[in-house]
Amino acid sequence: MDVNDTLRIVIVGHVDHGKSTLIGRLFYDTGSLPEERYREIEKTCREQGREFEFAYLMDALEEEREHNITIDTAQTFFRTAKRPYVIIDAPGHKEFLKNMITGAAAADAAILLVDGAEGVQEQTRRHAYILSLLGLPQVTVAVNKLDLVGYRRERFREIEEEIRRFLGSVGIVPSYIVPLSAREGDNIATKSSRMPWYDGPTLLSALDSFSPAREATGLPLRFPVQDVYVWGGKRIYAGRVESGTVRPGDRVAFSPTGKFSLVSTVEKWNRPDCPQASAGECVGITLEDELFLERGEVMGARENVPAAAREVSASIFWLGNAPLRLNQRYVLKLATSESEVTLSAIPERINSSTLEIIERHADRVENLEVANVTFTLHRPMAVDTFEENQRLGRFVVAEDAFVAGGGIVREVWSDTVGAQARVIRLDVRLMTEPDGNFVDLSREAGPIEFDLSPGFLDRLEGGEKVAIRLRTADQLETLARLAFGHRMGFEFRREGEGGKVVLFRERPVRLPAAEETGPVI
Amino acid sequence: MDHLDALENQSIYIFREAFRKFKDLAMLWSIGKDSTTLLWLARKAFFGRVPFPLVHIDTNFKHPRMIAYRDRMAREWGVDLIVGRNEEALCAGMEPAKGRFQCCNALKTQGLQQILEKHGFKGVFLGIRRDEEGSRAKERVFSPRDKNFEWKYKDQPPELWDQFNTSFGPETHVRIHPLLSWTELDVWEYIRREQVPVCDLYFARDGKRYRSLGCVPCNSPIESKAGSIAEIVEELKVTKTPERAGRAQDHEAAYMMQKLRSLGYM
Ligand SMILES: Nc1nc2c(ncn2[C@@H]2O[C@H](COP(=O)(O)OP(=O)(O)O)[C@@H](O)[C@H]2O)c(=O)[nH]1
Ligand SMILES: [Mg+2]
Repeated sequence: MDVNDTLRIVIVGHVDHGKSTLIGRLFYDTGSLPEERYREIEKTCREQGREFEFAYLMDALEEEREHNITIDTAQTFFRTAKRPYVIIDAPGHKEFLKNMITGAAAADAAILLVDGAEGVQEQTRRHAYILSLLGLPQVTVAVNKLDLVGYRRERFREIEEEIRRFLGSVGIVPSYIVPLSAREGDNIATKSSRMPWYDGPTLLSALDSFSPAREATGLPLRFPVQDVYVWGGKRIYAGRVESGTVRPGDRVAFSPTGKFSLVSTVEKWNRPDCPQASAGECVGITLEDELFLERGEVMGARENVPAAAREVSASIFWLGNAPLRLNQRYVLKLATSESEVTLSAIPERINSSTLEIIERHADRVENLEVANVTFTLHRPMAVDTFEENQRLGRFVVAEDAFVAGGGIVREVWSDTVGAQARVIRLDVRLMTEPDGNFVDLSREAGPIEFDLSPGFLDRLEGGEKVAIRLRTADQLETLARLAFGHRMGFEFRREGEGGKVVLFRERPVRLPAAEETGPVI
Repeated sequence: MDHLDALENQSIYIFREAFRKFKDLAMLWSIGKDSTTLLWLARKAFFGRVPFPLVHIDTNFKHPRMIAYRDRMAREWGVDLIVGRNEEALCAGMEPAKGRFQCCNALKTQGLQQILEKHGFKGVFLGIRRDEEGSRAKERVFSPRDKNFEWKYKDQPPELWDQFNTSFGPETHVRIHPLLSWTELDVWEYIRREQVPVCDLYFARDGKRYRSLGCVPCNSPIESKAGSIAEIVEELKVTKTPERAGRAQDHEAAYMMQKLRSLGYM
């Protein structure tokens, strides 16, 4: 490992358990707190008539100091003998969970802080659960404020056991559980003489044992196209290698379109003949063939591209003020692609603090809840499961253009890459002819699928007919199924390689009087 | 991939994401080391070109050596430079003596506001960093400002996994911060590695150098013997003085920077 690699650590836990104080103390005890900052805090505290408050280093906003809370996540920097650190403070109030997630999603490792007097609380558990959903496996627990319980070993043991049990239930094995007092500086940078019964590492050496999140160089190649620049006669596909390595000459393919080619060059500014690009590198790629790819396509090795998902099941956390609702449309953003989706099932709605299942087969997910859900994608998207590849297996859900939730992909249902059907929404706008209803699909060469709008069905209900022109005979089957599914009749006439289909509502068949009344309920 | 590579790639990703999502972009170039590093990164992101104009807000109180450096670099790198000045405030005699808060707000914040309005810029790149001071430590990479230029720091949208919020109301503009995760030391180590040309006010003369460039009346040099980039890097590794110690607007009153920034200051 490169000793110069920065480690990003987020500090999470229930409100008032001492997260901001711990950070101030870490700075102070490692000699990283600039004297002027110290004096500025000292002065503010004196003006407010209170003891020196280490938390003020991070809680810089006036509102935060006034109310003694952390509102938004902040990042700060310090250095030990071993390496540089980025410390990310996260607010502990549940209203600010979105800010906690913003902070935690940027970290390599976490310190979960628990107040030794108060013990495990609502946000302790919620934050731990969120860490597991964000895929943060490196966690150290810090049991704080032991000065308030006389540095008693028994109290520490109780909390240790409780937290270990809970973390186990969300799949986290803590690296260490360190007893400390942030205010007094026990076991932060130096071993405390007040807890001779503890023989583990100080918090600082526990941190030094973590490793930065590896770049996913060992995984298969994933290169999502971020943008396309046509400059200087070249078509450059700009993007970041999310995993694996790409070299000129590689045989590559793209998902979801299934297009393929050979890599011609890897482009970097002022680096002619760049031999390769690996995970984490932002580069440009040129191809041997003119493919006209768009943002969102993901390049992989020819025999290993991500699935072209039509449906994904996922575990999500919801931060929106309005509930996430079944059968509603949202936008799912994953790597550089995005698709409209319909939330098609909510098998489980979960309390993100107690982990209890609130409801099965639910119709909504409320703010701060976690859920297992299924999304149906309106157009195919390149997706891996989170287990296969974190970078291509995590996404955010946007509502009204704002990120309102996020999640990780558990399972993917896909088309064969390159053979996705185009979904054609049959709505009244498609009916173009003034003297009749005519939908021209003669330019759709591939497989098609239909998505019917209520307005469209209403027209048919009213006795109108719709003519649809198809390009190929293969597309007939889909249309026949559609007619079958909606009890419609249809007539077909061949036109060249394709044909014209007329859809209409079947007249209801007159049934014998006895059956017409229907079954008695 | 080392630490500087990781930072560089992250910044390039942000640049490209913004370029993809916004049509009317500009980059604020304060002539200092950070925004010059930013400019260097933009050239990397777009293979040598800078596909948007640079904006310099001239307060009329900048050091002549800054202006000379600006014009030389703009020519050398062939960038499209727009210089903005709040002429109305300058004619009315705005200066630090009228109050630092008022002066910063008029000549910088409002100067910027006028340029954004005039050119219809929807996205502006800025070279601020989280380690500069407390309110910047809380910034998002894509940070919206409403039509009154205000920053709603108490209710920022979540931002995770490089999925940035890029669509906002029509009256909004977005500040884009590709250097947010860099530290002062990172910037200088990068300048050393890439040999980015920087303004010579940073190098010590007669035992003094500027650690941060601003307006002449409100910015004082520090005691230093660092006459080269390498010496600056060494100095920063041991210093206990914060970077903006010489910037008067940071120390005039409690929360002054937070207040300036909530009104749209950079
Ligand atoms: N006695 C004692 N008090 C502490 C300790 N750590 C923090 N506190 C106090 O607990 C309160 C909340 O701390 P803060 O850091 O703001 O908590 P946060 O909400 O988790 O960031 C403050 O008044 C701190 O002074 C500790 O180790 N011992
Ligand atoms: Mg706090």
